[in-house]
Amino acid sequence: MRMSSSRPKEGNRGKMKMEGVEGDASAGGAVRYTLNPTRISSEDILFCVDVDAESLLEMKTAGVTRLDSIKQAILVFVNSKLSINPDHRFAFATLSKSASWLRKEFSSDVESTIAAVRALSATTVSSSQADLTNLFRLAAHEAKKSRAQNRILRVILIYCRSSIRPHHQWSVNQKLFTLDVMYLHDKPGPDNCPQAVYDALVDALEHVSEYEGYIHESGHGLPRTLFRFMSMLLCHPQQRCPQDDCDIPKPLVKKAAEPANGEDNVHASISR
Amino acid sequence: MSFDGFPPFISAQLHYLINHFPEKIKVTPPTHIPPSFFQIVHFNQRKYFGLELGDIIYNAEFPLAPPDIIFGPEDEDFHPLHMTGSVGEGDLKFGNILCDWNHKDPTRLLALIQELRDQYMAYQKKRVGEVDDDRLTFEISTICSREGIEMQISSGAEKPEEVKFAVPLMDMNINKMVHGCPWRHPQKIYLQVIYPVGKKYASTPSPPRLKLMSTTELGALFTIEDVKLPSWLDGMCMAEYLPHLEESLQKQVVESVSLIDIRRRFIESLTPLLGRPLEADPVFCRKATFLASSGSFVFLVHFLISTQFPKQQPAVMLQSSQHISPQGIPKKSPLLSEYPWSPRWEASQMAERILRVSLPSF
Repeated sequence: MRMSSSRPKEGNRGKMKMEGVEGDASAGGAVRYTLNPTRISSEDILFCVDVDAESLLEMKTAGVTRLDSIKQAILVFVNSKLSINPDHRFAFATLSKSASWLRKEFSSDVESTIAAVRALSATTVSSSQADLTNLFRLAAHEAKKSRAQNRILRVILIYCRSSIRPHHQWSVNQKLFTLDVMYLHDKPGPDNCPQAVYDALVDALEHVSEYEGYIHESGHGLPRTLFRFMSMLLCHPQQRCPQDDCDIPKPLVKKAAEPANGEDNVHASISR
Repeated sequence: MSFDGFPPFISAQLHYLINHFPEKIKVTPPTHIPPSFFQIVHFNQRKYFGLELGDIIYNAEFPLAPPDIIFGPEDEDFHPLHMTGSVGEGDLKFGNILCDWNHKDPTRLLALIQELRDQYMAYQKKRVGEVDDDRLTFEISTICSREGIEMQISSGAEKPEEVKFAVPLMDMNINKMVHGCPWRHPQKIYLQVIYPVGKKYASTPSPPRLKLMSTTELGALFTIEDVKLPSWLDGMCMAEYLPHLEESLQKQVVESVSLIDIRRRFIESLTPLLGRPLEADPVFCRKATFLASSGSFVFLVHFLISTQFPKQQPAVMLQSSQHISPQGIPKKSPLLSEYPWSPRWEASQMAERILRVSLPSF
């Protein structure tokens, strides 16, 4: 079912959330959830990872770059998605000035995902622009193939630049795939403009996305926040509610106040 | 399925066959390519209730030519090009498909296999009809008018001759009963009946071996293994046995359809506690995954709901959304399926009890 293309800009989408607020599920939509007997398709998910030099900035955890955390998050995401439905498939692209393929074939094989993720490496020089047009072209082309196999295509763009607003040229009638965005950035300051970048990403999402696309952002550099937002992107596009009504993950057990030093629960090593 | 290494027109024919054959068909890629230029495509046709056809071979030297077909040793007498009698028309058709072979037409292989299968069934039916066994002759006469019935005679050096029947049951359009049904082909339930071939009536003929079988996809709705077959009483014949079975099965199928919505309501009842699911099976409601948190720890909660719900409790598994081993293996709890349960609890109560049981053990 297609969502309308005009969506309110208030709520979570219009401005960035207050940072550091976690485990506090908002009340969410009061509408009772119904599981309608409408078929859903398996997904072909195209990860597009921003490999600009800014992806090499460190997270709050010493020695862990944004790209390290992104790689980890992708592996967790793919495993989670496959445990929900082993028929979902994944492919990979990178974004510097424009988008290009890293691994073109969609596959549900975890080994080949690990290999593709290992192959992700950042550019040494920062690009002066981020053009999403080619990404959308690639996605539209793949979406036609997916549709022929009764699948739907989704792009998950993971973007890392705090001052480069992405741009695109796309016909407004072409909504062939869903677009989700995960935006990692520096804290807002006089020398950057993450809010403007965020707004540009929201525009892109609302412009091209077939089903309701979700966008999350984080500026405080905690890997576990990235993982949390990525796991919210596990939502199947054909069963989503508007982002403003999202109330997951629901807290199940009330815990005492979290330790203040922002330790994270990541337990794995990724070879760089 | 990819057919790397096959010429594109052969791939096209294989794809067409797999997508359009009315039952599930398996194509095994070649396990060996002998030096004499043959590319072998093994068709392990789903053991069609005991009917397994042979190998289909494309000749790499003449890929544009129709394939050769090799049958098993039991079927030495099967000559689809020379069938006579009531299958005269079919014989012509089979020959025509081979003569008019057009390698560019992706539908040809499917037509060939379907015709081959029809011919094979007719051949088997004829063989069974020739068996010298009074009881069998009688049984065949009472049920051969059933549409879709198949029979096969099987014999071997070490085993006695047996006749197998695959009897389609219930004239029900099960597909139509399921909202949002994703099945491309009609789902059917069959009774497999196996009789030993005897020369004359024994004083007490032994009951045949019985087994219920179904098309594969039906498993999402109805677990055929859970059905208890009515007993075959002494002196019974199929004409007496089948109506009872069909009546009972019909009730069970109708019940299984009504259970879909029971499962649906259960999934919906989880949402006040767990929020909207990340993904839930919308047609058969057999599984749903939710995202939950405990402090800063975020994890998935998977529910697997059997066709026996609510008599049988759902199986639950928790999975971390933050932890992964260096080998890329996610951290999961064991599948929890044995825990205190009552089908009489209200749905919201069920949800709370499940979480109370599954959370501390994670």
